[in-house]
Amino acid sequence: SALAHLSEQPYPVMKIARVSELETGKPLSFSYPDEAALSYLVKLGRPALGGVGRDKDIVAFSRLCTHMGCPVGFRDGRFVCPCHFSQFDPAVNGQCYQGLATEYLPQIRLRLDEAGDIFAEGIDGLIWGRVENPR
Amino acid sequence: MSLYPRRESLPIPPKDAKVQNTVCQYCTVGCGYVVYTWPVGRSGGPRPEENAFGVDLTGPQPTLTGLSYTESMHSVIQQANGQYLNVAIVPAADSPINPRRDHSSRGGANALTTYASFRPTRERLKMPLLRVGNALVPISWDEAIAVLAGVIKGVSDRFGPDALCARATDHGGGGGGFENNYAIGKLFFTGLGMKNVSIHNRPAYNSEVWGSRDRGVHELHYTAEDARLCDTLVLWGANSYETASVFYTEHMLPNFRGATQEEKKKVFATGEPIEPSRMIVVDPRKTASVTIPQSIDSERVLHLRPNLGTDVVLANAVARIIWERGYADRSMIEQRSDPSTFADYQAKSLAMGTTLERVLTEAEQVTGVPRVDIEKAAEWMARPKSGTHRRRTLVIYEKGMIWNYRNYDTIAALVQMAVLGGNIGREGTGCGRQGGHQEGYVRPAYPGTRPPPNVDKLLIEGQGKFYWVIGTNPYLTTPRAQQFRERIHQRTSTLTRALAGAAPAERIEKLLSALSSSSGLFMVVSDLYLTETARDAHLVLPAAGWGEMNLTSINCNSRLLRLYERFMDPPGQARPDWEILAQTARSLEAAYQKEGKVEQAQRFSGFTWKTEEEVFLAGAREFPDNVVDETGAESLPCETYKGVDYALLRSLGQRGIQTPVRKDPLTGTLVGTTRRYGRRFGTEDGRFKWYGTDPWRGYPPEVSKYFQGGKEAQYPFWLTTGRNQHIWQTGYHDQHIAQKMATVPLPYVELHPEDATRLGVKTGELVEVFNEEGSSTFQVRVTDAPKPGLIFAIQYHPRGTANHLTSPYTDAKTTIPWYKGTRVAVRKASNAPGPIAPTSPLEANDYP
Repeated sequence: SALAHLSEQPYPVMKIARVSELETGKPLSFSYPDEAALSYLVKLGRPALGGVGRDKDIVAFSRLCTHMGCPVGFRDGRFVCPCHFSQFDPAVNGQCYQGLATEYLPQIRLRLDEAGDIFAEGIDGLIWGRVENPR
Repeated sequence: MSLYPRRESLPIPPKDAKVQNTVCQYCTVGCGYVVYTWPVGRSGGPRPEENAFGVDLTGPQPTLTGLSYTESMHSVIQQANGQYLNVAIVPAADSPINPRRDHSSRGGANALTTYASFRPTRERLKMPLLRVGNALVPISWDEAIAVLAGVIKGVSDRFGPDALCARATDHGGGGGGFENNYAIGKLFFTGLGMKNVSIHNRPAYNSEVWGSRDRGVHELHYTAEDARLCDTLVLWGANSYETASVFYTEHMLPNFRGATQEEKKKVFATGEPIEPSRMIVVDPRKTASVTIPQSIDSERVLHLRPNLGTDVVLANAVARIIWERGYADRSMIEQRSDPSTFADYQAKSLAMGTTLERVLTEAEQVTGVPRVDIEKAAEWMARPKSGTHRRRTLVIYEKGMIWNYRNYDTIAALVQMAVLGGNIGREGTGCGRQGGHQEGYVRPAYPGTRPPPNVDKLLIEGQGKFYWVIGTNPYLTTPRAQQFRERIHQRTSTLTRALAGAAPAERIEKLLSALSSSSGLFMVVSDLYLTETARDAHLVLPAAGWGEMNLTSINCNSRLLRLYERFMDPPGQARPDWEILAQTARSLEAAYQKEGKVEQAQRFSGFTWKTEEEVFLAGAREFPDNVVDETGAESLPCETYKGVDYALLRSLGQRGIQTPVRKDPLTGTLVGTTRRYGRRFGTEDGRFKWYGTDPWRGYPPEVSKYFQGGKEAQYPFWLTTGRNQHIWQTGYHDQHIAQKMATVPLPYVELHPEDATRLGVKTGELVEVFNEEGSSTFQVRVTDAPKPGLIFAIQYHPRGTANHLTSPYTDAKTTIPWYKGTRVAVRKASNAPGPIAPTSPLEANDYP
């Protein structure tokens, strides 16, 4: 992956997608900050905390359920874990509003530049299964 | 941005970190946890030989099987000597209860509940407080015990033991356990002869399951394995996904998904059909416990939604079909039950004098459950499988049943329905409680009557002079809490005013004389935090909590007895309940001795314990002789642990031992009990005792009043209540955990979309719910979980309680309230409060 390190940033900055590629409700898979860190970028069609874009509805999260690490799926505007049925709201900071997870899904900090490129540039929360987020 | 402070790394416990076993402090399930403590400033390495986990942390953990060590599983704690320690509390890898290190959102936050002066748990009580004037001021323990014992003795001597009242925990898990429970029982019952005692949320000293116990069936007789082996799982008034989460995900769901078929092969008879389980959920609400299995295979899920309070009619109707269709277990009835009691059951519960047609027509009308579903339920529960093999049905019930209208008959109807179908004592069967919290009950016999007195009622009426509240918060949890609270506030304030200006040396005498001449009430609260109730207390005592003392408990799904090890000091001067009780008893003993009252002093003897284990061992003497064979064990009290000590429990670790524990007469070894009632029932002659339930005569006056004189239109909704996955009990710890308060910032109600439209309210807005008992304010969640006309409210929350609205009705046979059903009105109180409540608007039962 094309990791562009900026000296002042603790996390890598990585271009994920162009805003024009996103379709509402259709998540895009990517890995961040390392290959094993499965993540989703999604345009929700409703404003989201930490959302970028004209409608503030583009967000990205770690896909690893914070309960026991199963990759969550995206259905009808929410993340659902297929293993123990925890549900997370991507519009509310990855809040686990139902289920067994104690933590919200780690949210990936996004930046949208004037050219319409979306960059990941950090993550809030510890990715499941790590004692330290990869840099 | 984050709604709560997030972390991006965690310290690793070094190889020499202290490792201790414990069990989650929260729900009935009792998941195993391991506690690692090590000095701040040190860290282990990522390689397995460099850390106390013994796990390779150099790369990501494998999904599902790896170590779960998440942000909330680590904290820094402060010992009494000022030392800072890292604490990591992670799910145990070797627990039969939570295999694969499964855990819930509750247990995942155990580490956040530990005390530190620099985290929100700084709010813990650290010193005894005495109300002087209208302020709670710190005092020494010696003075606190002197005041406490002085008032108890004065009230008992002048007004008799019935003027002494209490409300005390009797549970297992955090804050409870055999040790604290035994000390409470020994002081209250043996020492003080108190009968005006009530149990945590309840107004009286009762069992919620006398309807089962009187039949010879203790409610905890199945084992978690039975949920893996059953053909049909019935959740009756139990929302196990939210309230016993890991029992649901690790034992119930795998069976439903067909993942336990190999286990069934080992146990089932030759030729017996083996299939993934079916699930029947009886709940007026469409909870996630229904919609999750429906999302897997809706053909194998049956959801019955009875009208509130009518479950007794439904259970009896199912039983009648079991009988009529020939599904009943004849040998169970003839050989293992008391034939002299069966006719009464047939006449009253099965209504054999009435045609099946009429019974079902009436059942459909009363319960609102379609007749075809009642018939299907009977088939799924008791119709023999092909080849005449008996079906294996496990019925698990909880608060939807025990906090129902007509507690005694409802529970009796259910257990009799199960026994009629032969569903007890075999692998994959049973009819027992899910449980809310864990258990750990050992006490001398309660000296009161049955049914027991309603202590709330007598306090409201002005009786009682002394009220000691231990580890419970009745201002939120008792029925009709608003009126109770107002009255207790009034009575305690009366006493506070009478004390104004008392010199310290005259305090006790002045208290007692004020109690003689007024309707004042002296209130003591022992707890972890300054609870709502404690705000009105005259004496507040700081209690030690989970992890701050050794304690023992059993869980409900397996009766698994384990040791919960102490891993840190209590904050400040906080002490375990047993120690507070023992000090009080010793003070009373000395006072009576000083007066030469030898006999009275004698009642307080034996409180000389130095350690928790001494209390545990003293409690064991309350159990009968347990040198018995397997058959003899069927009659032992459920929690019998005679012969067990801490050393044994330490050596057993997460494996624990299932109570009742017996001492084998031949080998002399201690043997646990996997499952009960395979040989005999827990009655004198070992036979199941049938009982005829009373006929349905509609709702009690305390609730039916809302259907008269125009009140139908004034209070157009039914209200029921329950738990939320993320909030434990009153949220005493959760209110200090940022992500929980961001997820559930306010108490909430669920409204059906039709009702929401009619009321003009939307998700996130605030409503006031009210009736003639009281009122409470809730945030709205619009969802199809309740039916139109039914509102669901979270039972308690740090910001409010649904129990302001409960009726004063109690079952005449048990004094158990009907918490789960009353009539209410709703009005919009406010628009969405905005940023204070950034909670998700998504529906928690919606699995697309």
